[in-house]
Amino acid sequence: MAPRLPARLALFSLLQALVLACARPGTARPAATAGTAKGSVEEEAPPAQGAPPLHLSGLTLDGDPARRASMRFVLEGLDADDAGSADEAANLYERALQVDPSNPYAYLALARQRAEGPEPAHALPYLEKARALFAAQKAETPSVQAHLCGLRALALEAAGRGEEAKEEMARAKALAPDAWRDGRLDAAELR
Amino acid sequence: MALATEKDRQRTTSRLRRAGNSRLVLLGLLVLALGSFLVGVKVGRQLVLLDRMVTQRFSGQRFRVASRVLSAPTILYPGLDWKNVDLPGALTRLGYQAETNPGPLLPGRYVFGKNKLRVHLRALEHPTRPEPDRDVEITFDGSEIAEIRDVTNGRELGAVLLEPELVGSYYGPDREQRELVRLGEVPRHLIDAILSAEDQRFDEHHGIDPVRIVGAFLANVRHGGVRQGGSTVTEQLAKNFFLTPERTLSRRIRTALLSMIMEARYSKDEILECYLNEIYLGQRGATEVHGVGEASRLYFGKPVRELTVAEAALIAAVIPGPNGISPYKNPERALARRNLVLDLMHEQERIDDETWKISRAEPLHISAVTPESSDARYFLDALRRQLPEVYDNEGLTSEGLKIYSTLDLRLQRIGATALRDGLAALEKRFPKLKPESPDKQIEGCLIALRPQTGEVLALVGGRGYSVSQFDRCVQAKRQMGSTFKPFVYIAALEPEGGRPVITLASTLEDEPLSIPTPSGPWTPVNYDHQFHGTVTVRDALEHSRNVPTARLAQEVGIERIAALAQRLGIESPLPLVPSLALGVADVAPIEVARAYAAIANGGIRPEIRTFEDVVDPQGHTLARREIEFQPVLDAGTAYLATSLMEGVVERGTAVSVRTSGLLGPIAGKTGTTDSGRDAWFVGFTPELLAVVWVGFDEPRNTPLTGATGALPIWIRFMKEATSGQIRGAFLPPPEVITLDIDPSSGAIALAGCPQRKSEVFLLGTLPARECPEGGGMIERAAQPPEPVPSSKAPSHEPKPHGRGFVDWLRGVF
Repeated sequence: MAPRLPARLALFSLLQALVLACARPGTARPAATAGTAKGSVEEEAPPAQGAPPLHLSGLTLDGDPARRASMRFVLEGLDADDAGSADEAANLYERALQVDPSNPYAYLALARQRAEGPEPAHALPYLEKARALFAAQKAETPSVQAHLCGLRALALEAAGRGEEAKEEMARAKALAPDAWRDGRLDAAELR
Repeated sequence: MALATEKDRQRTTSRLRRAGNSRLVLLGLLVLALGSFLVGVKVGRQLVLLDRMVTQRFSGQRFRVASRVLSAPTILYPGLDWKNVDLPGALTRLGYQAETNPGPLLPGRYVFGKNKLRVHLRALEHPTRPEPDRDVEITFDGSEIAEIRDVTNGRELGAVLLEPELVGSYYGPDREQRELVRLGEVPRHLIDAILSAEDQRFDEHHGIDPVRIVGAFLANVRHGGVRQGGSTVTEQLAKNFFLTPERTLSRRIRTALLSMIMEARYSKDEILECYLNEIYLGQRGATEVHGVGEASRLYFGKPVRELTVAEAALIAAVIPGPNGISPYKNPERALARRNLVLDLMHEQERIDDETWKISRAEPLHISAVTPESSDARYFLDALRRQLPEVYDNEGLTSEGLKIYSTLDLRLQRIGATALRDGLAALEKRFPKLKPESPDKQIEGCLIALRPQTGEVLALVGGRGYSVSQFDRCVQAKRQMGSTFKPFVYIAALEPEGGRPVITLASTLEDEPLSIPTPSGPWTPVNYDHQFHGTVTVRDALEHSRNVPTARLAQEVGIERIAALAQRLGIESPLPLVPSLALGVADVAPIEVARAYAAIANGGIRPEIRTFEDVVDPQGHTLARREIEFQPVLDAGTAYLATSLMEGVVERGTAVSVRTSGLLGPIAGKTGTTDSGRDAWFVGFTPELLAVVWVGFDEPRNTPLTGATGALPIWIRFMKEATSGQIRGAFLPPPEVITLDIDPSSGAIALAGCPQRKSEVFLLGTLPARECPEGGGMIERAAQPPEPVPSSKAPSHEPKPHGRGFVDWLRGVF
C-alpha cells in the first residue's frame, strides 16, 4: 500500500519548492514573467505587482535582543552607504555581525554594498550566506527572494555570466517589480 | 779696546737676548694663535657636528613609536547580560573612574546607582567609525541591560560601544611606548604645571638659564646636597634626545651647546612639543612610558586633553623621578609633590586661588595599572604574520600605527587561564606528565573564532610566552588523530553531483580489516581493541571507531577525502595513504579551526581574520581586512556533519560536556593520536568555535586522550566564555528533512514499526526501505512517499533514493 500524502504536506512542500527554485542556481524554472532582455539586466518591465518592498527599518523590533541591536547597526550602515561612506558602512555591518553573526540582513546589506560597488562579483559569497541563513531561519519571504535574485543578477552580470544574470533579474522583477524596476537596489530602498 | 769689546759683547748679548725674547714672544704668540686656531677649529668642528645632530634629529623621524594593537570594541545593548562582557572589569581596564556625586560627568567617569550605571563614554577615534563621547545611563534588570539612554537628550539608544582595549604593542629594542601629542592638544594647565616645576623662565632663556643655575646652586648649598637641578627643559630634552646619562663635565658642556643650538634653530613651541613627547614618565610593567600622552593613559586612562589641573600637576610632579615619586609605589610622596607643583603654579600666578584650593583638595584619582598581558603575545605574533608585507618589523616598531584587531580580550583571558590551569591540573592528575625540566613541560594551545566571519577571538599559543614564544596554534604541525574523521564522513555524505556513499541511516561493519599498502598490510584497530560488528554511522563517529571509519574511507576514496579536507581549509600536505582517514596528517591547529568553521558555518569557509584596520597616526586607513568567505560544501551536508558531531557531545566521546552541566547546541570531535602524543578537542556552538590541542613539543607518549586531555580545557573555556548561556541553534537548511527511521535497519519507520528514532537526511537521499516491510503511513510531515526499492541494498551501504524531492514535486505539480 502506497503512503498517503496529506494536504498540509503538499502545501509545505510547495513552499519549499518555491524557496529552492529561486535561491538555488540551476535548479529553478524560469519565471513566468521573464521578459526579453537584450544583454542588460536592467531592460525588463514587468507588471507592477508582487511582494511588498522589504524595508529593514521595519524589523528593528523583531528577534531577540542581539538581533535587534544587530539590526540597528545594519540600518546605520545603510545610512552610511546612502551617504556614500562605504567603509563606514562596512564597519557597521561588521559590528552587526559581531553582535549577531547569524543575522541574514547584515549579509544582505553587505551583498548589496558589493553588488552596487566596483566589484559586484564579490557579492556572490555574501548572497550565498544570506540565502542559507534566510532559508534556515525560514525568513525567505518573496521580498527577500527578490533581493537575493536581483543582487545575484548584478553579481553574475559582472562575473560575465550574462544569461544567468538575465534569468535572475527576471525573477527579481517578477517577485518585486517596484523594487527592481530600475535594476538596482539603493541603500535607501533597502532601509 | 778690550773694554769696548766687552761692551760690544754685552750689547750684542743684550741685543741677542732681546731678539731672542722677542722671538720667544713671537713664537709664543704664534703657538697661542695656532693653538687657538686649532681649538677654534676643533670647537667649530664640534659645533658643526652638534648642529648636524640637532638638525638631523629634528628634520627626520623624531620618535620611534611602537604600533599598538587594539581589541575589538565591547558592544552594549539592551538584553545583553553585562556579566558576559565583564562590564565593571572593562571600565576599570579602560581607566574609567568612579564618581560618587551624580552631577555632571566628565568623559571617562561613571557613577553606579541602584540598578543603574551612568557613564560618560569617551569618544572613539577611528577614521571610518568614529563615535562621539556620550553621557549615557544604563538601567539593569538583574544582570541584564534593560535600557540605554542618552542623558543629554533623553533618547533611547539601541547600542553603544566601549572603546577598544590595548592588546599590546610592537616594541623596538628600547621597549618604549608613547602616544604622540601635538602642542595644540595639550591643555595649557599641563604646560603650566611642567614649566612651573621644571623651567619657570622657559620663555626667556636661550637654552641655558644662569639664573636657575645659580638658584639651584644656592639651594643645594643650603640643603647640603643636590636638591634642585639647574637644567632647563631644553637641556633635559638635549640630554634625553642626544646623550647618555653619565655625569661628566664634557657631557654638561655638550648639553649646554646642544641646548643653545636647538634654541637658535627652532622655536620654543617646537622644543616644548618635543619635550612633552620625549620625557620619561613611568613604567607600565616592563615598558617605559614616555611623553605626556602616554602618561595620561597610564595614570588616568584618558587622552591628555581631558586632564584636570590636579592630574596635570601629578604628571609634572613625577618628572624628576617617575619611579621614586610613582603614585602607585609612593602615593603619599606623589601627593605631596603634586601639591608642591600646584603651589608653584599658584605662586607663579598660573592658576587662580579657587583652582589651587580645589585641586589641592583633590585626592589622587589614578587608574588601575593594566600592564600589557603576555597572554596576548601569541596573538600579536599571529597578527604580525597576517599583516601585509609592507608592515615590516621596522615599520611596526617605529611608525605608531594603530591596528584594530578582532581579539576579544575577555575570551583571551579566559582562554589563557583555562589552558594554563588545565595543563597544571593534568600534571597533577597524571604524574607522568610532570616535566623533566621547566622547558620540557606539557604544552597546549587554544584558538577560538567566530565561525561565520572567521574572526579570531582568542589565541593562546602555549602555557607562557615568556617561557616559549613558539606558537602551537599556528606554527606547530601535529597529527590530527580522530579530529580528521568528520572529513571522511562528510566526503561520504556529500552528494557532489551524484549519490552519497552513505546516509545517516547507514550502517558500517566494525570487523577486522586489512588493507594492502606498499609497506605491507595496514590493519587498523579500535581504541578499545575490540570489534563491534555492525554499527550505525552515528555510533561509528560518536565513539570514534577506527575500523569502520577506515573501511568507509576505502569506499569513498582517500583522494576524495583529502580533496575535501583541503577544500574545507586544510593547507598542509595530506599523505594519500589509508591511515589518512584516522588522522595521520600533520596539521596546524589553526587549519583545523578553519576547516571546522566551514562546517559550523553551513559549508561556507571563512577566511581567518585577526585584524580589521591598520590606521596611521594621522588617522588614515592604510589597510583593511574585510570578511571573506567561500562556499565549499553544500549546506545540507554541513548540517548532517554538525548533527553527527552533536551526537559526539550527547552520547559519544565528548559526553563530559553534558555531564559538566554545559547545555545548549554544541557539536564537536575528540582526537587522540598514537600513545596519547596529541590530545585534541574541536567543538563549536552556533556562534563560537574553539580548538584545544595538548601534547609535548617533542612528541612523547602520554596517558591522555582527547577527552581527558583537551576536552576539560575546552569545557572550562566554553563555560566561562558563554557564561553557560549558548545563543542560537543549529538550523537545518531546507534541503534537510527529519523523519523517523528504524535504528536497527535504517529503514523509514512507518506506523507499526517496533522501534524508531529521528534522523536527518538530504532531500533525495531518503532510505529506500520501509519498516515494516511493505508500507504503512509516514507519521512525520514534510517527507514524500518513497517507492519500494527493487533490490535490497547491503546493510553497510544503504543506497539513497534516486529521485529527489524537487523532482518529485515537479512531478506532482
